[in-house]
Amino acid sequence: MRSNARNYYLIPYLAWIALFVVAPIALIVYYSFHDIEGGFTLDNYAKFFTPVYLKMALSSFWYALLITLFSLLVAYPTALILTRTKHKQLWLLLIILPSWVNLLLKAYAFIGLFGTYGLANALLETIGIGRKQILFTDFSFVFVAVYIFIPFMILPIFNSLEEMNKSLIHAARDLGASAWTTFRRVIFPLTLGGVKAGCQAVFIPALSLFMLTRLIAGNRVITLGTAIEQHFLVTMDWGMGATIAVFLVIIMALIMVVTGQGRGSIR
Amino acid sequence: MKDDAIIRFDQVTMRYGPEDVVLDKVSFELQPGKFYTLLGPSGCGKTTILRLIAGFADPTEGTVYIGDVPMNGVPANKRRVNTVFQDYALFPHLNVFENVAFGLRIKKLKKDVIQAKVSEALRFVNLVGYENRKISEMSGGQRQRVAIARAIVNEPDVLLLDEPLSALDLKLRTEMQVELRELQRRLGITFVFVTHDQEEALAMSDEIYVLNKGRIQQSGTPIDIYDEPINRFVADFIGESNILEGKMIRDYRVEFGGSEFDCVDGGFLPNELVEIVIRPEDLEVVSPEEGKLKVRVESQLFRGVHYEIVGRDRSGNRWLVHSTRSVKVGDEIGLRFGPEAIHVMRFGETEEDFDRRLEAFAEVNHAK
Amino acid sequence: MNPAGKRSWSGLYLFVVFAILYAPILYLVVYSFNSGGTMHGYEGFTLEWYGEVFSDVRLLIIVLNTLVIALFSSAISTVLGVIGALAIYRVRRQQSRNALLSLNNVLIVSPDVVIGASFLILFTMIGLQLGFISVLVAHIAFSVPIVVLMVLPKLQEMNPSLLDAARDLGASGWGVLTKVVLPVIRPGIFAGFFMALTYSLDDFAVTFFVTGNGFSTLSVEIYSRARQGVSLSINALSTLLFLVTIALVIGYYLISLRNSRPAEGGQNR
Repeated sequence: MRSNARNYYLIPYLAWIALFVVAPIALIVYYSFHDIEGGFTLDNYAKFFTPVYLKMALSSFWYALLITLFSLLVAYPTALILTRTKHKQLWLLLIILPSWVNLLLKAYAFIGLFGTYGLANALLETIGIGRKQILFTDFSFVFVAVYIFIPFMILPIFNSLEEMNKSLIHAARDLGASAWTTFRRVIFPLTLGGVKAGCQAVFIPALSLFMLTRLIAGNRVITLGTAIEQHFLVTMDWGMGATIAVFLVIIMALIMVVTGQGRGSIR
Repeated sequence: MKDDAIIRFDQVTMRYGPEDVVLDKVSFELQPGKFYTLLGPSGCGKTTILRLIAGFADPTEGTVYIGDVPMNGVPANKRRVNTVFQDYALFPHLNVFENVAFGLRIKKLKKDVIQAKVSEALRFVNLVGYENRKISEMSGGQRQRVAIARAIVNEPDVLLLDEPLSALDLKLRTEMQVELRELQRRLGITFVFVTHDQEEALAMSDEIYVLNKGRIQQSGTPIDIYDEPINRFVADFIGESNILEGKMIRDYRVEFGGSEFDCVDGGFLPNELVEIVIRPEDLEVVSPEEGKLKVRVESQLFRGVHYEIVGRDRSGNRWLVHSTRSVKVGDEIGLRFGPEAIHVMRFGETEEDFDRRLEAFAEVNHAK
Repeated sequence: MNPAGKRSWSGLYLFVVFAILYAPILYLVVYSFNSGGTMHGYEGFTLEWYGEVFSDVRLLIIVLNTLVIALFSSAISTVLGVIGALAIYRVRRQQSRNALLSLNNVLIVSPDVVIGASFLILFTMIGLQLGFISVLVAHIAFSVPIVVLMVLPKLQEMNPSLLDAARDLGASGWGVLTKVVLPVIRPGIFAGFFMALTYSLDDFAVTFFVTGNGFSTLSVEIYSRARQGVSLSINALSTLLFLVTIALVIGYYLISLRNSRPAEGGQNR
């Protein structure tokens, strides 16, 4: 049993929650009902439902979906192969290592790689396709985003594969299932928790990317995140920015509920 | 006797909810220098008593005294008792020496004093040379010893042991029983030992408290408890026994299994319905003619030291017999037993009632 | 069904994944030595860009700022996070505990743009001048829940009778905390500190929102320089950072290796 003493630790911790969790959310909601001059208004919400913002929300959704999907497609086989390697913890560490390199630096590297005279174009030229505009396209945006998010997808899937009881695979094979059937009927359903956690860890940040859209997509792609940044730091229309943030938080909460409070998406 | 009691419970009740009564008005006192055992099935309240003495819990009602000082509200770190925990609770981040030295460091004793005391405690439990080992490198039996050393190094008035042997295998457990008993004699302090294992309790204790459902059922020396269980629960819990219904014709005369027998108990109402206990090893297998009871053998198992025979008498009572002689299943055998083998119990009698009856009976006899 | 063939295919797949993962980093490193001045057309080896980094006083100050922010914020958030984990651990009602955990996780799952924007509003509201302090406070705020999540499982794994044992041996509440609880959960505290450190070093979005007055961290600085185009001193800088990162990872790996060993042994009895 724990001691009956009063829980004094709660005081600083609750203060932190009040100041940096509750207050910011409340302020965001508060500002979303105010215009630039500070008067109460519902205009921001009305504006959000105009085609301009809805289209933006939709395209932001679409890109996030693409990024999540491609991440999953690359990450799942990688995780599966990793669990079968000899020094899997070491390999896993090597997968995570690039994610410790500052995000900005990696984005910056891609500016060079995808540039008109960059490595990618040099490759294209040698195989005879010729130089293409890669930077500032949808392709480059999705590619770099997938590149950045891949470790966050691999990690939960790897963990759920590791947790899975290996004798289940033997049992399935023993019962006559082919390798593919075993994967489809046994391995994949059992690692669905990891897949969900991974999708959560990728989709939510992908929805609000703004740095990559500027550096890699050259403002061609405008996500909800870009719009918030634009409103807060450029046009200074905090009310509208807050409204978009409110929607972003709502969407995020919905995703959390739908994918079922993924167990420890951070790990 | 009150003055020299080292621990006293006065009408102690422990409740976790209106319906959830763990201890129900328990009173007892423990004398210094003895080995006590709290015995009972899980959930009987024995561990709660230990936690109340140690100071990990406070009673809902009543008072716990250590020495003559009421302890309600006194935290565990201010009590001169120490505990050996069921899972040992050794600190994984400290080595053997530092585990044992923990309490001494809290008291801020001098370095050389700590060194000397820890060495002595480790010598006491035969762990000299293990000072720098990590806990994870110690075997179950060795961890047990570290836990004991860590407790006794603080020179407590009372050592509390919460099922400390339950994690050990049978052989080691038997060895540790002997060692613990020996240790208690050498230290001369009070041990309060909690267990659900009746053999352990009988082997080690000066005195046993049998608990069930938050009440003390019976207390006494192992021999008292074994030979004179006061009710069905105690008789059933301690050792194996034949328990059957009977009728007390008059003092020293009891009827069961269709016949009347002499016995050594008295103090009942004439023709009072009672329960009879006869231990299986008190029954002697003889020919049907010689026996006081005739029994048809239903099964026989070889148990190593004896045969375990199950039979049925003519009134349908089941009899368990321990015998060194083998019999044939289906045969009729006779059972012989002396008057002192028959133990008569009144239905639902508490310990106080039992004592009162015995006293009253003795007085009446004396008067005669 | 040729196992050797299958293995080589999966080996190839893994090779391609690793190649792509490391290509940008290697690319940066290689061109940091290019005397040509661009990220294409390698002309010759030079250390000119490294020299430029070390003579760029503004950049050095920013590096220092970033490190100071990271160390201070992770140290303070580790203290707060440990307190938070202890607070949650001591709450007995399951519902209240889950509620606290949910509130704790809000900042972890929230998009960093939203965190940045809301902190910007908060700081403006309470009149905190944007700059070093606001960035520091923001980093502490978003690191606390990470530390809580790293420490709490260690507390829950801890055998609760250790606390009883410590009190039984005479330790006061403070003694139990400092002599038993903190040493036992130390691996979690270290992991939390390191996590907080990396989150702080890596953060761009939140800092971008709450910084001001010319105060800048590396992420923000690289962002503004990268928007102006390629400059090989950034390459040189990233090479240096990459080396530091690897050193950190190795250090972290060694620490966790040393920490996990006794714990594992303990479980195996």
